[in-house]
Amino acid sequence: MKRLEKTAHRVGGLRNLAFFTTLAVLGVLGLLDLYVVDSLIPPSSYVYIFLIATGICYGVYPLWSARRLTTYYWRRTSKHRLALAGLVFIGLLVLIAIIGPFFTQDPTRVDFKEKNLPPVGFTVQQSIFDMSTGKFTTREIPGTLSHPLGTDDKGRDMLAMLVSGARVSLQVGFLATLVAVLIGAVLGVSSAYAGGWIDNVLMRFTDIMMTFPFFLLLVFIVFLFGPSLSFIILAIGLTGWTGVARLVRSEALSLRTRDFIVAAKGLGASSTRIIFRHLIPNVMSPIIVIATLSIPGVILAEAALSFIGLGDPSSTSWGIILNAGQSSLDTAWWIAVEPGVILFLTVLAFNFLGDGLRDAFDPRSQL
Amino acid sequence: MEPSPATVILRVRDLRTRFYTPAGVVKAVDGISFELRRGECLCLVGESGCGKTAASLSILRLIDSPPGRIVGGEVIFQGEDLLKLAPEKLREVRGNRIAIVFQDPQVSLNPVLTVGDQITEAIRFHSNISGKAAREKAIALMKRLGIPSAETRFNDYPHQFSGGMQQRVTIAMALSCDPEVLIADEPTTAVDVTIKAQILDIFKELKETRRMSLIFITHDLGIVAEIADRVLVMYGGRVAESGTVLDIFDSPGHPYTIGLLNCLPDLAGARDRLASIPGTIPDLIDSPESCIFQPRCSKAMPVCKVQPVPAAEVSAGHTVFCHLYGGDGPLRIPENYGLASHQRLWHNN
Amino acid sequence: MRAYIIRRLIYAAIIAWGVVTATFILLQLSPNSPADRYLASMSARGSDPAQVIAAIESRYGVNRPILVQYGEYMTNLVRGDWGWSLSTSMPVMELIKKHWIYSFQLILLSSIFAAILGIAIGVYSAIRQYSKIDYIATFFSFIGVSLPNFWLGIMLILVFSVQLGWFKTYYDTSLPIFSLANLKALVLPVITLGTGMMAGYTRYVRSSVLDNLRKDFVRTARAKGLPERRVIGKHVLRNAMLPIFTILMFDLGSIVFGGAYLTEVIFGIPGLGRISFNAVFANDYPVVITITLIGALVVLITNLVTDIAYTWLDPRVRYE
Repeated sequence: MKRLEKTAHRVGGLRNLAFFTTLAVLGVLGLLDLYVVDSLIPPSSYVYIFLIATGICYGVYPLWSARRLTTYYWRRTSKHRLALAGLVFIGLLVLIAIIGPFFTQDPTRVDFKEKNLPPVGFTVQQSIFDMSTGKFTTREIPGTLSHPLGTDDKGRDMLAMLVSGARVSLQVGFLATLVAVLIGAVLGVSSAYAGGWIDNVLMRFTDIMMTFPFFLLLVFIVFLFGPSLSFIILAIGLTGWTGVARLVRSEALSLRTRDFIVAAKGLGASSTRIIFRHLIPNVMSPIIVIATLSIPGVILAEAALSFIGLGDPSSTSWGIILNAGQSSLDTAWWIAVEPGVILFLTVLAFNFLGDGLRDAFDPRSQL
Repeated sequence: MEPSPATVILRVRDLRTRFYTPAGVVKAVDGISFELRRGECLCLVGESGCGKTAASLSILRLIDSPPGRIVGGEVIFQGEDLLKLAPEKLREVRGNRIAIVFQDPQVSLNPVLTVGDQITEAIRFHSNISGKAAREKAIALMKRLGIPSAETRFNDYPHQFSGGMQQRVTIAMALSCDPEVLIADEPTTAVDVTIKAQILDIFKELKETRRMSLIFITHDLGIVAEIADRVLVMYGGRVAESGTVLDIFDSPGHPYTIGLLNCLPDLAGARDRLASIPGTIPDLIDSPESCIFQPRCSKAMPVCKVQPVPAAEVSAGHTVFCHLYGGDGPLRIPENYGLASHQRLWHNN
Repeated sequence: MRAYIIRRLIYAAIIAWGVVTATFILLQLSPNSPADRYLASMSARGSDPAQVIAAIESRYGVNRPILVQYGEYMTNLVRGDWGWSLSTSMPVMELIKKHWIYSFQLILLSSIFAAILGIAIGVYSAIRQYSKIDYIATFFSFIGVSLPNFWLGIMLILVFSVQLGWFKTYYDTSLPIFSLANLKALVLPVITLGTGMMAGYTRYVRSSVLDNLRKDFVRTARAKGLPERRVIGKHVLRNAMLPIFTILMFDLGSIVFGGAYLTEVIFGIPGLGRISFNAVFANDYPVVITITLIGALVVLITNLVTDIAYTWLDPRVRYE
């Protein structure tokens, strides 16, 4: 028992211990997977489990244990009506993404008889070749409730595709941001804390990565490594961490000279303990803000990749739908309009929320 | 040092300025009146927050209008009420006939424009003289104010000057159009101690040789003693006492004035604790109709909490706003006020 | 200041080296070796595999040790030999020379459009803070930042080309660059790319102007009797524009290139983005590598120039 406590103390608390244990278990399982047994867990699940563990240990648990603080910030945020609206929208979207697919049709079911149906309430002219007269006649096709948002040029139900796309976008949004924030935060804090040449080298490295235009680098990496969904998530995370790193480093730098850090050092705390127990919790609020504000960029990046055809072809991302829509602009305009609208609203919601959070966390703004 | 029988060029009557803040309405200037005569130096004295800066800004309507607003009073300058003047005509007065020197030259100078540009800006705008003539005038002014190598420094930027030199630049800016009235808002406060005296000398010289009418704002009684002809003691946005500098130092009437004078450390006399006025600066949001100094006043009477203060003219040109002097009887200076320290200061000048 | 410029140049050189090396490392890490890819695309064209492999090995030295490859890579880059584009059968350098102008005109016009409107709206918003126009402008800038710019492009095409027929749906490359018709063809693409940029600019300008409006030297300018127009135009703007200028230039790399890429693809403008897009699907990797590198180097040069320009523009830095 004593030894458990001692180890826990060294890494800054039970929570950290739990986290690192999970990591260790994953690592062992991974090694087993590679060299001994065959595929106990599919590879992408490793990433998911890791990211979920991080989310719980460093996201949910701290919020829960500091309930008063959380309620304080919650109240400040809710004074921003737009931010609240954004949060509600996101909540709805998450709900739809999780349970929606059980209620909608199969998004991949192709039915050429029902192709290019407009959404409910609209009618569209279609020219049909009439076998009996040998001429083209125009017929008015109305939208039906069986396909409330219409169908695409292959007869797939739009609503189902959009719901499925929501799943993709939200997954990418949250997970890729998590990756980016993880890399950026660890790098930033370590850089700020270590100082000296380590700081220099890490910052030069960050500068080098920042020099690549984000989208070009993303295209390059996906081109080189292949467009699978989990890889795209990783790729976006690996290219988008630079802003987070810069920000976290500057926040951590300003904290480093503060008295409570100096006191901890004076009391003999080890570097790891200081980093995990003192520095990281205190840079949490700007991290939360920048994470929320990064999600829209991530979602747009994935949509853009899918749009130009570098997305995961087996997923029904909104970007892919948009791509198909561009060629049907004259015959079936809704194929292009609908995914764009929902994409826009999602991004807007995250931007509102992020802005509200930023104001809520800024100690100088009075709300 | 008596008030010269010259003409009154600026007359302020019952000036009221308020600031509308989330916490409430701040009555920063609550009924100030005074007169400024040609060639005279009027000092506005008081603690920080007493409204002296707000009052001076109100004269030229330089109050930031979203939170602040001038809500009442008159500022009569050469026959016209500045508070009611149309904006274009007000702009003719600003910088041209009434100029103002601000407190901290570091922030009141524009960092990305040359010093010469900023000094000649007002001249070029208010009159029709050529750029070259304006430049020559500016350089002459800089020389007079003691800025060395004026020709080359004309093209330098504010950050290339020391604090004292920057303040001279702001004074040059104010003087560039030969204004009739110069308002100086604590021009020596943000400057090093060694430079303070030099800047003060500049103002003294302006008053004596140029016969400039000066409104000098300060919280330092020593400066008041050196430069003032008349003094307006302010407290809580209102006037506590007004009179000649002799009146104020030799026979102060208002308990606040006396308290201020007592605060001056007595360098020559016995080593006692530094005197101070108990209490803190007043809340200007819920300020009472009656005397605003009453909570801190050692001579407070029951009537002070209830009735608005009367203006008591205790001698010619010397008015005290205090219930101690009634509104009707002649001066009655109560005894035992211990005036020695400040009197010594006064007579040493 | 000269010392600063020299230090900055050295720093830029280091970053350039880092960028090129990082690209090389990424290439090496990729699971599909260049040889495999070439094989795939060449076989599709019916070439003899053995010959192709020999050609690739002799040119790209894929079986030689890494450091040698690196050396060759670096020397090729410096010498200006940026590879051969298989899909278009010309040296990559020539391909770039043919097409960069299209990207350049798009980005230039969009930046001008965005800058002019962004500054105008931003300044107006700031001086009339809390007015209706301010709220509307802020709201629109939120929308502009959130609007996916590729969707905006498609929507513009839908409304203005398909429904209204004012513009063609596809960019006509036969038009001479400096012609009015070319300008007309660029209207929709410029609006597409410029709107997102403008939204960002409006926010930056507004906040910078607001910051400066509160400063004391503005009060001094008013106290001199200057009209409000001059107070804002001369005193406030010159101070507000300095940080704006740097932010604008730094944004160029991260945001603009991505947006330009998509805009070119949508409208069929044959700029470098579109070329890269074609190359990706033709597995023409020298082109993709080169365009990525060019993007990074343009950003690098822009940052360098902006940094040095700033030291000259801000008198506080110019005269230390």
